[in-house]
Amino acid sequence: MTSAFPPPPSPLEDRIEQLLAAPEHDGHPLRQALADLWETHRDLERRLDRIARVSDAFQSMARQRELGLQERMERDLRRLEKLARISDRYQSMMRDLNVALTEASTHDSLTRLPNRRLLTERLKSEAERADRYGRSFTVVMIDIDHFKRINDTCGHDVGDSVLIELAHAMGAELREQDCAGRWGGEEFVLLLPETSLETAVQVVERVCGRLSGVHVPEPHPTGSVTASAGLAEHVPGTPVTATLSRADSALLTAKRNGRNRIERAPAPTPETTHA
Amino acid sequence: MQSFETPGSQSTPTIRANWEEGTLFMEGDSYPENSYEQFRPVFDWIEAFLSTTGRPLTLDLHLLYLNTSSIKAMMDIFDRLETAHANGQQVAVRWCYDRRNERVGELAEEFREDCTFPFRIEPSA
Repeated sequence: MTSAFPPPPSPLEDRIEQLLAAPEHDGHPLRQALADLWETHRDLERRLDRIARVSDAFQSMARQRELGLQERMERDLRRLEKLARISDRYQSMMRDLNVALTEASTHDSLTRLPNRRLLTERLKSEAERADRYGRSFTVVMIDIDHFKRINDTCGHDVGDSVLIELAHAMGAELREQDCAGRWGGEEFVLLLPETSLETAVQVVERVCGRLSGVHVPEPHPTGSVTASAGLAEHVPGTPVTATLSRADSALLTAKRNGRNRIERAPAPTPETTHA
Repeated sequence: MQSFETPGSQSTPTIRANWEEGTLFMEGDSYPENSYEQFRPVFDWIEAFLSTTGRPLTLDLHLLYLNTSSIKAMMDIFDRLETAHANGQQVAVRWCYDRRNERVGELAEEFREDCTFPFRIEPSA
């Protein structure tokens, strides 16, 4: 901002300058007084001009600073928004990775069924629930008979895809509350909550029927598989590991008795209860 | 100023600053307890390199997870590079990410948004 000072001389100022310059007034008593007054006036004018300039400079400096601050604030705000945006995206990436990791650590990568770790957790919590409410559930161990034959005759790739199909078939026959998982190799575990041994037998019969419907390609000798199963009903108050090993023993019995059959574990005797 | 190397840990990246080559390498996760302490030497090194050598500077980044204060530190570093670039100095960034994790590449793009200096984002095998 530039100052408007000094303004152009006014008619009065012109007149005074002319009067002071005119030689005919030399020696007049008022001439010296007028000259002094004129000088004082000019001095005041110069001062006023300087004050205005300084004031203007201050004003424009303050304005510049204000603009600078505003600009900086806007820039900082943009940076902050960018920071928050990037940070949010990192966090959501981590959250998704977490979900994927949890899924990977609790499920079998081939069949997508719950793995041994998750099954063990489910069995434990089901046992706690059963103990609390005095209810029971049945644990089933299923083993595919002569599964090695598939791998030997058709190769491991076919063996893997048959396992996936068997897992699907098993899931299709279960009820919402049931849980099927891969215990290892070609061994599966079913957890049937609120299910008595006799009801469980019916469920397992249906499951085994489904399993035998899964097609195994040539050159497999029979084109299908059978399964053996061992069932054990949990007894409230006993450790769930005991129930699991009873089911395992029953499975062993089924295998020994010729495979393709279902065996029930006898009720635990007091000695085996806390085995 | 000279070259320095900081071995990485679970929560801090590996850092290698090479004064002769004019390269700064950073690799790994970054969620240190004190990000100021971690990034101060990096920032000082970059500042010294840019203000004294006049030689080109290249950042080679293989960063994965960054916490919020690490993100801010990286933004500050890129701002400093932007200033150097505006002054006619040669600076460049190469950000490599695992192609199995595309989202790290997308995040690198967010960082690149306001940068006018060469900033390449490359998937690694």
